[in-house]
Amino acid sequence: MIASVHQAPLWRTAWRRLRRRPFQYLLLILGVALGVAMTVSIDLASGSASRAFQLSTDAITGKATHHVIGGPTGLDEAIYTRLRAEAGIHPAAPIVEGYVVVSELGGQPIRLVGVDPLAEPPFRDYFGAVGNELSLLVKFLTEPNTVIVSAETAERYGVVLGDALTLRVNGQLVTARVVGLLQPADGVTRTALRQVMFADVATAQELLGMVGRLSRIDLILPDETAVSHVRALLPADALLEPASSQSNAVQQMTAAFRLNLAALSLLALVVGMFLIYNTVTFSVVQRRPLFGILRCLGVTGEQLFRLILAETAVLSLIGSLLGVALGILLGRGMVRLVTQTINDFYFVVTVQDVSIPLFSVVRGVVVGVAAGVVAAILPAWEAMRTPPQGTLYRSTLEGKSRRLLPWLTLVWLVLSLAGGLLLWWPQAGLTVAFTGLFAILIGFAFLTPPVTAVAMRLVTPLGGRLFGVLGRMAPRDIIRSISRTSVAIAALMVAVSVIIGVSIMIGSFRQTVTQWLSQTLQADVYLSPPGVATSQIGDVLPEDVVQTAVSHPAVIQAVTARHVAVQLPELGRTVELVAVDGDVSAGQRAYAWIDGQRETLWARFAAGEGIFVSETLLIKEGLPVPPPPLTLLTPEGARQFPVLAVFYDYSSDRGTILMDRESYISVWGDTAVSTIGLFVRPETAVDELVADLQQQFQAREDVLIQSNQEIRQEALAIFDRTFAITAALRLLAVIVAFIGILSALMSLQLERAREFGVLRATGMTLRQLWQLTLMETGLMGALAGVLAMPAGFVLAWVLIYVINVRSFGWTLQMRLEPGYFGQALAVSLLAALLAGVYPMLRLGRIVIATALRQE
Amino acid sequence: MNGWRWWLVLVLGGVLVVGWWWQGQKTAVSTEENSLIPLLSEETTDGFALALTPNAMTFPRDLGPHPDYQTEWWYYTGNLETADGPPFGFQFTIFRRAIRPPDQFTQTGSDWRTNQIYLAHFAVSDVANGRFYATERLSRGAIGLAGAQAEPYRVWLEDWEVAEIAPGQVRLYASTDEVTLELTLTQTMPPILHGEGGLSPKGVEPGNASYYYSIIRQKTEGVVTINGRSHTVSGLSWKDHEYSTSALSAEAIGWDWFSLQLDDGTALMLFQIRRADGTVEPASAGSFVQADGTVLPLHLGDWELEVLDTWRSPTSGAEYPAKWHIRIPALELELTGAPLMPNQELTVSTVYWEGAVAFRGERNGRAITARGYIELTGYAQSMRGRL
Repeated sequence: MIASVHQAPLWRTAWRRLRRRPFQYLLLILGVALGVAMTVSIDLASGSASRAFQLSTDAITGKATHHVIGGPTGLDEAIYTRLRAEAGIHPAAPIVEGYVVVSELGGQPIRLVGVDPLAEPPFRDYFGAVGNELSLLVKFLTEPNTVIVSAETAERYGVVLGDALTLRVNGQLVTARVVGLLQPADGVTRTALRQVMFADVATAQELLGMVGRLSRIDLILPDETAVSHVRALLPADALLEPASSQSNAVQQMTAAFRLNLAALSLLALVVGMFLIYNTVTFSVVQRRPLFGILRCLGVTGEQLFRLILAETAVLSLIGSLLGVALGILLGRGMVRLVTQTINDFYFVVTVQDVSIPLFSVVRGVVVGVAAGVVAAILPAWEAMRTPPQGTLYRSTLEGKSRRLLPWLTLVWLVLSLAGGLLLWWPQAGLTVAFTGLFAILIGFAFLTPPVTAVAMRLVTPLGGRLFGVLGRMAPRDIIRSISRTSVAIAALMVAVSVIIGVSIMIGSFRQTVTQWLSQTLQADVYLSPPGVATSQIGDVLPEDVVQTAVSHPAVIQAVTARHVAVQLPELGRTVELVAVDGDVSAGQRAYAWIDGQRETLWARFAAGEGIFVSETLLIKEGLPVPPPPLTLLTPEGARQFPVLAVFYDYSSDRGTILMDRESYISVWGDTAVSTIGLFVRPETAVDELVADLQQQFQAREDVLIQSNQEIRQEALAIFDRTFAITAALRLLAVIVAFIGILSALMSLQLERAREFGVLRATGMTLRQLWQLTLMETGLMGALAGVLAMPAGFVLAWVLIYVINVRSFGWTLQMRLEPGYFGQALAVSLLAALLAGVYPMLRLGRIVIATALRQE
Repeated sequence: MNGWRWWLVLVLGGVLVVGWWWQGQKTAVSTEENSLIPLLSEETTDGFALALTPNAMTFPRDLGPHPDYQTEWWYYTGNLETADGPPFGFQFTIFRRAIRPPDQFTQTGSDWRTNQIYLAHFAVSDVANGRFYATERLSRGAIGLAGAQAEPYRVWLEDWEVAEIAPGQVRLYASTDEVTLELTLTQTMPPILHGEGGLSPKGVEPGNASYYYSIIRQKTEGVVTINGRSHTVSGLSWKDHEYSTSALSAEAIGWDWFSLQLDDGTALMLFQIRRADGTVEPASAGSFVQADGTVLPLHLGDWELEVLDTWRSPTSGAEYPAKWHIRIPALELELTGAPLMPNQELTVSTVYWEGAVAFRGERNGRAITARGYIELTGYAQSMRGRL
């Protein structure tokens, strides 16, 4: 044996091969690139949204260590006076904040932060850069509706000092004047303050309708003694929290949402891995004769193993880098979708830039290269075991592959069982559930080769009867190259099953929501303030609007609702409380659990015997059924409310509580109304009432009048918006799969050039050759489509009954539509047949002699 | 008629804003005066009430605030001692400034809306240890955070306050992380009206004047706590209360103010406004208060003031007078004195020296001693040339 062989010649062989078959490698690179692009874009999009929120939250938090926060309508400002003037708590700063939409500043939600400039310096130092004009501060303090915006934002929208801005706040249009421009010194602050507008506390209170109230009080407390000292001074409904808790809550709120996105993007990478495996296997198989010779020349198996892995790693690296670049491009589009969903469901955030953290980039590259290398291990192992001067034929490999089939079936069983176990594990988190889901899906992929072998054997006689010799040849060819055909089928199967699974899930979800909307929203006309974003609660309807609507002669019943956020001290979070004076569902609402008789439920509710909680709150907080009384923070302190029923709610995954209006008013003393549902007298047409109300509130921006139909459409529009990103992911998964199947089938066909030469030489017509090719690819496509159906169903089942419930606390009714399966079959057939077209065209140009001479 | 204090307030009024707010935390030292000059000159006094008539003040009404005047302050200084000797000095001042004239300001819905800003300076001189503690606070005069009222008399900024606890008796409380002062001040004389029946001219123009009275020789008892150590103290305090609306004369660069309480029951107040050309503003004036409360107004030329020594601040670099000789021939009064400790410089949003002093001398041929406070402003300005 030659002692050692330098690696360089080996690398040259790899390079030569790459030049001869660039297309294959291009596909490998593309496979990696698309997978990586998906993960990176999702990562960037959801990361940008939460970072944007985090940044502005941090910027507003400043150096505060603690916040005092209050009940549904904030804090009584007297608490601030008590802390500062009576107890001498110093430093302390009041904050009054809310969201406004400013048409002159791009019409996006902007955080209006009311501060006391005189109390600010220990907390935030942005004002150092406003300018040295006393007159500015004087205006800011003494003139109503004066604001300071960031210089960058102003410049971006061509706003200059002294300009008037139109603020849509609480549904009303208010003119405010820019009296100062903030020019933060550092870039981070500049970014953070883009979506922030400052006003004096007085101005903010007046603009946001919070006169007498504060959103919170910022404190800098040095130690626990100071913390307990302050806590002792606070009234029962005020909470003292570490400053970090707010941003933590935001992180937790969206964690499930972001994990779901990440998992879906990983799915694309898994499909990409099949593609890599396929390409690498193929390149190994083709080079077996070469490897055999090399082994004879003294190249060790280990060196070959390393060669294949290194080759793949280099190509995966190129693919990953491309993927990162592509991901960044995609991320810019994706961020809009993600931001919209966050605004609809969680909190108000505006993202202007996609930030590109190095971590995301590095992670994308690492994941891409790792996926490539892992997928190449098996083929590399195969290359290593090439015997020196052994039978340089693929049949060895294929023979071995066939012997593997029973083992693969076993792997499927093990993976499915493991996956099932992981999904069943009730206390496990979302990550475990997704791992289970992936195990089951990959299990299905392992099942593909045995199923392919069996199916093709079954199909052979039928093919023979229908298409004669060709009909028998096609399935046999597939079996003969099963090591690669089955991988291509598996890749396509996984991709198509994702389409089926996700489609069923979205379809079921939409159906459930539609049904829920039609049950819950029975009132004919709805009045609401036009909020900044769907997730923004607390806006109120003007009193005169409420009066006019409620006492309208065409109205038979009016149900008012007050939406506020209240604290659940035991669970350490807030929940949306809706105080209602009637059932907007007119008794149609569906309940997951009812205490006692359904008939007397609303009577007991109206009598203040207890509250209703949403199923999402129950599931997400892991509360038992029947639920224990719930503790809410009230002005008199923590108070328990018995739960009378658990209702379904798909409007939010954060949990909702229904309380009767009288109890709410008696506890919180807040008589404002957020929305009204109106039931119209039977003799009046709904449109007439809508038209009449619109007439009465003409030219008013502070009330939105919607018919039952409109509000349902809007709800479904939000739903569709939310799933737009899922749909986009599904589409990308299909593209990856499509490229995968294309490359696999093309490689297969191209590889058989010599065989085709023989066939042609022995008298097969070109037309027959085409038929053979199409039959083979068609069979593979059909098999993938058929296999994808059970896999897709299982995927849908897991998404609906495990992932959704654990992520969002929503239980959905699964709804199967034959259309999804038909579509899936059509997609896989189409993909497979299309993949046969290019080899077919090449076959047409084949020169028999050349083909025979090849290799 | 503390002309220079008034000047101080004008400076403070601007600095409280420019220094404290717009410059954030890095306000540290002085020298904002560069940017203050245009600021103050562009400022208007239109729309504010003017001090025009003598004998306009009545009590207790005028113990309270006068929001229609642009500036106002309640100024407490005092010399204290423990039973076994070590002396302490204190200064506690609450300034009020209207940042908008009443006719240009409308109260809107929010109670936070105000045109009244309050600023407090609190300083304690621990003479035995040579330590000087000075702190500044700022707040708007709204929602009870800061304010003043006549009946019952109370002036406060957050938890720092001077409040009437009995007729003629107030409690003074101020506290920082290091120093807490809790005193009871008992009035021994009726209010002293300076100038012409309380109308104290600051220049030749009508209205360029302030209403100015003092309540002097207030018997003071209480506790000074420094870094956790409490000292029971007693002594004499001096209160100034002044309100006005006026422009600053362009030539003025600073002032020296003296308040001395003599051991024969009399008291002396003097102020000199220094001008850029080295001369003294002719409106500079003073009052000599007899033990029975009779006030003898003093005018420039009635006294001779000689600076015998100076002290350079290591913090600001400013050079302050540090030893004086005062002679008032008409009263047969001659006094020489110096600060109880050199460094009593406040480096807050504006930089000035205000500290406890001790004097010794003769009146009518009899030996006499005096304790009091001296305020020196406009000296840190000299930095301007160097920067």
